[in-house]
Amino acid sequence: MGGRVNWAVFLSISVFVFASGAHAQSQVIGAPPEASNMKLVGTNDLQARSAYQPTIHHQGDRWIAYIGHHGGSDDNPDPVNPQTGKAEPNGTSIVDVTDPAQPKYLRHIPGQEGKYESGGAQMVRICDGKDLPKGDPNAVYLLRTFGSEAHEIWNVADPANPVLITRIAGLKDTHKNWWECSTGIAFLVSGAPDWRTRRMTQVYDLSDPAHPTKIRDFGLPGQEPGSTGAVPTELHGPISTGPAGNRVYFGYGTNKGGFVQIVDRDKLINGPKEPTPDNLRYPEISRLAMSALNGAHTTFPMQGMPIAEFARDKDGKTRDIVMIVDEAILNECGEPRQMVWFADVTVENRPMMISSYTVPEASGNFCERGGRFGSHSSNESMAPVFYKKMAFIAFFNAGIRALDIRDPYHPKEVGYFIPSITAATDKRCVTIDGKDRCKVAIQTNNVETDARGYIYIVDRANTGMHILELTGTARAAAGLP
Amino acid sequence: MTVQTMRAWPMIAIAALTLGALSGGAAYENARPRTGVWREIAWPFPRDGWPAGRAFRCGAASCGDEIEVYVRPKIGFCNCDSGVADDDEVDRVADLDLMSPRFVPLKAGDVVRVADMPGRLRSYDLKMPTGVQHAAVGIAVSRRCDLLVAVAQGTGEAPRVQQVALEFLASADMTRWMTAAMDGR
Repeated sequence: MGGRVNWAVFLSISVFVFASGAHAQSQVIGAPPEASNMKLVGTNDLQARSAYQPTIHHQGDRWIAYIGHHGGSDDNPDPVNPQTGKAEPNGTSIVDVTDPAQPKYLRHIPGQEGKYESGGAQMVRICDGKDLPKGDPNAVYLLRTFGSEAHEIWNVADPANPVLITRIAGLKDTHKNWWECSTGIAFLVSGAPDWRTRRMTQVYDLSDPAHPTKIRDFGLPGQEPGSTGAVPTELHGPISTGPAGNRVYFGYGTNKGGFVQIVDRDKLINGPKEPTPDNLRYPEISRLAMSALNGAHTTFPMQGMPIAEFARDKDGKTRDIVMIVDEAILNECGEPRQMVWFADVTVENRPMMISSYTVPEASGNFCERGGRFGSHSSNESMAPVFYKKMAFIAFFNAGIRALDIRDPYHPKEVGYFIPSITAATDKRCVTIDGKDRCKVAIQTNNVETDARGYIYIVDRANTGMHILELTGTARAAAGLP
Repeated sequence: MTVQTMRAWPMIAIAALTLGALSGGAAYENARPRTGVWREIAWPFPRDGWPAGRAFRCGAASCGDEIEVYVRPKIGFCNCDSGVADDDEVDRVADLDLMSPRFVPLKAGDVVRVADMPGRLRSYDLKMPTGVQHAAVGIAVSRRCDLLVAVAQGTGEAPRVQQVALEFLASADMTRWMTAAMDGR
């Protein structure tokens, strides 16, 4: 009898494990999302456009989501905008998310013609005119990239009817900008034509968005015009702590040869501007070199974090932390794992890695699901609801991951959400014996949070936007009611 | 002209003709494409962000000067639409920095096709860590979003290094391997 029971238990467990494994290996249309301590509140298909940066803005009594898009796909280079009935190159989606359960698509601003990374309008930042020193107080300004060739500023005070204000053109690439709303200083990731790198920094004063004023070009010695020899790794993006923090954290390398450069913001803006090697070195405080196997997509600063474990220590109770998120590039684990790193930069000239985080591959057989597996980006909102407590990491086919980072020496996953695929979800292919072999999987690309505590994730493979909230122990860890 | 000089004249003429014939032959030898004898060697560089590639050496007896070629794919490292767009990109990606961070281009690069993939090549003066000056040729070609890079270096002149390297890369064995490597095989 006992033997029979044991055998039955073994069979049941085997069937469960097999079923779970089979489920985890591939996504099918109609299957429910996979979730733990996170739940779906609402969705929008974003017109089946490949999505990159979401920025959520509290605009009057409304909440508006602005989402940047990559270029179109081979199968659908210019998706049709149902509002106009016209095929439009991917650009910027504007969605009213005041009621997150019923997002309303307001407007699509077309971007640059081109597919994947070569077109669209990937990046978007928003500043209120009333916050900018010389802005129109009635305006709301949207700063976006226009494919690889320009940066644009639009007035989106009426988000359904954006108006182009100005354009900074003549570039060979663009990417992940940062814009300080209190000063108007913008760190634009650009490809100045005469620089030896695809991506460097152009510092602009955009305090009067109608009249952009260039402050300087900035990059690493060896990237500047006229230099020779080895060319350092290209920039991915900066994040500034503004005049109060006086630091800009630059992430270089994307998925290889990465490092974090810590820069004195005041010296960067007010120091000598001619791009000589000495002048480029002048504002640099230090660099934290990563393994050549990893890059730095996002460098998210959290200055002055109290560390509970160190509370009774006479020194070092609080630490300056930078969360570094690598970007996975290749499908189906075709490269070293790209993940999340935490660096203690309290002693700025001796920054040190203190911890890391990755999704366990075996927890979902993610290398076999199709598309990219690995980290890409984090939320960048510094609103108190999550700042220095929770971080949300876009992990491509492993969806979004909620991390409890209150002790950054020991970050802990407390929730996740992997959206269901839809008929719009695009395939991702690898080359096997010279032929494409394609699979369809969710590709959670970017994430942002709002001050209410909603989490917005967007999909690179055209599945749209999912609005989420924390539940259970994750919600409790964030201190949400 | 003295009598002694007059007597020496036939000898001088013969010597001149002989020298001319010899130097002409040497020039012909240099101009003529010849297949070097290449030997595969261990990848001579420490691990970096990319998996190691293959390295080859051709000795002076066969190639005129000792020349080495290093070649490897860089999967997912290229603009999928524009490919290898300009000389700056060759400077950035062609692995010259594995040998030395100090290299100076000799002139603008050229378009090239290797293993049926389009791209660019550029020649450089390369200051080796020992201080010795070498000639180098960086080659970057692409297929979709992937790169194949090769760099050749030697003690001879850059045009000769380039000629020998391209000839080697065009061999059937190398073409087959490069094609397979780009397919992840």
